[in-house]
Amino acid sequence: MNNAVSKVSRRSFLGGAASALAAPMVIRASRAAPNSNSLTFTGYGGSLQEIQIKTVMNPFTEETGIKVNIIPAPDLARVKAQLLTGNVELDVFEGQSALTASGSKQGFWEKLDLSMFDLEDMAVKPTSDAVPYLLFAGGIAWDPKRFGPGKHPANFSEYFDLVKFPGRRTFSNHPDATLEMALLADGVSPKDIYPLDLDRAFKALDRVKPSVAAWVNTTTQAVSLAQTGEVDFTYVAASNRIKATNEPGGGVPLAFSFEQNVLGSETLTVLKGAPNKQNAIKFIAYFLRPDVQARLMTALGLVPISKKAVPMLPAETRKWQPDLKNPQSVFIDAAYWADHLDAVSVRFKEWILS
Amino acid sequence: MSPAVLIAVAIVLPPLLRIIYTSVHGPALSLTSYAEVVKSNLFRETLRTTFIIAGSASVLSLLLGFIVALHLARQPAQRRTALMVLVLLPFWTSILVKCFAFTIILGRDGIINSLLSWIFDTRIQLPLVLNRIGTLVGMTNYLIPLIVLPVLASLLAIDSTIYRAASIMGAKPARIFWTVTVPMSLPGVFAGLLSIFVMSLGTFIIPALLGGRRDQMLSNLVDFYNRQVLDWAKASSISIVLFGIAAAFIIPLILWRRRKA
Repeated sequence: MNNAVSKVSRRSFLGGAASALAAPMVIRASRAAPNSNSLTFTGYGGSLQEIQIKTVMNPFTEETGIKVNIIPAPDLARVKAQLLTGNVELDVFEGQSALTASGSKQGFWEKLDLSMFDLEDMAVKPTSDAVPYLLFAGGIAWDPKRFGPGKHPANFSEYFDLVKFPGRRTFSNHPDATLEMALLADGVSPKDIYPLDLDRAFKALDRVKPSVAAWVNTTTQAVSLAQTGEVDFTYVAASNRIKATNEPGGGVPLAFSFEQNVLGSETLTVLKGAPNKQNAIKFIAYFLRPDVQARLMTALGLVPISKKAVPMLPAETRKWQPDLKNPQSVFIDAAYWADHLDAVSVRFKEWILS
Repeated sequence: MSPAVLIAVAIVLPPLLRIIYTSVHGPALSLTSYAEVVKSNLFRETLRTTFIIAGSASVLSLLLGFIVALHLARQPAQRRTALMVLVLLPFWTSILVKCFAFTIILGRDGIINSLLSWIFDTRIQLPLVLNRIGTLVGMTNYLIPLIVLPVLASLLAIDSTIYRAASIMGAKPARIFWTVTVPMSLPGVFAGLLSIFVMSLGTFIIPALLGGRRDQMLSNLVDFYNRQVLDWAKASSISIVLFGIAAAFIIPLILWRRRKA
């Protein structure tokens, strides 16, 4: 007996203690049954989520009987924490392609069977673990009552031209899209943007720095600063938010330029070890169905991934679609950002503070 | 240890230990993340900003809060209670809501600028928000109630016979203020100043919403490393450094109070 006690080494005691401490998390993780009738999805909240619920989640539940739980904030930190503790509660994650590509590099997602999807119908093809479901266009917005035709910048070189268009501007607080904009403004041809010439991009940003009134974190902030006149011109990451200002209850109507845009895609991924993986894949496939796409994009005012959905959109919505073939625009390269986002983010942050 | 202390320790200590563990547990068990953080310009710049903002907001709050406390101390007890409610009123509103309210008040076409424009009959657009001024307004609004309480306690503790004695000896009100009120309120002033300074070191929402690009504080940097870069070793190191700085200020205060007791 004595002998047995002395055999309990410090190491095995610590191991035992650690598993005792971790037990609640492990038990909790195995709570969800494999054939459960639900799945968990990260939502952005706000109007986007309301529209998703109405046009995608509710009809999906009606059709399949699978309930969709929504928890807030598509945030990679949350994903990392769940994977680290083994307490995976999330099934489907939504995020911009650069974000999910960066998660892919860190092994956050399940590999997907691409034969599940109608690849022919998709304007942008999925990667091995991230499926795009919509396209968005970032660009310049302004209040047309304050700035008539010719009185506002309409492309990025004009946005960076403080002599021709003096005034207060906003920029995103994130380097992705912002550095692409800077290089386009500096005269780099859209097809030669990647790999980004960082020094040149920061030098171009140096020129506009004095005119930047706010480095915005959210699109809502970028829109409201322009609506209240706090800034004169604003960079808005998604055109549909400007479309919404032209609808009843949208506040001061703003205008948006489709002359030159930064285009990106919003993607869906499945977390590694997701408790409801089968439901998650069904859900993603449903998101891509042409009729669902048409319904969602009509309400959202964004660009469907499904080519078949495009002619189903009403004329009013099509007016707000960017031209995906516009040679002046650039498509965000998720693979580039997956490799460079961390280092460039730190440099960008340092540059903002200096 | 009292039960309250035990509960606080049980709640605070495990996550704190976890953060310390994360800060040294990067790719390997080492202090690299601390070394990298301390060497980086981003951290040094932000640390400097944090001290400047926390320091100036604390002093500003003390000046304004002292006036409020002085006024309260001179009121009859019943009226003082009613006025205290007004001092504590800002606590009833979420700080997030207050920040958005301040953007409406301080904005380029906000209430203050519109009023000034109307008075002077010309378009006035003073830059009052999205910069240091906005940050300081938000911080003082948050800190003043917290400094009024200790200062008021100190002022009320002054024996009123000392005032009478001073005035019998022929001291004018200004002299009484500088030789009696101020020195005798110093303990409360000192304790209050230190605690609001420590509290303001960790401010997060106010600089994020009311500040400009150069008003980012250490908490904002922790958020950046935590959510944007996903470098938790660095985020934790910065948190621990911030914690250490706060402790360096608060521990002497505790010791001093204990000695006084």
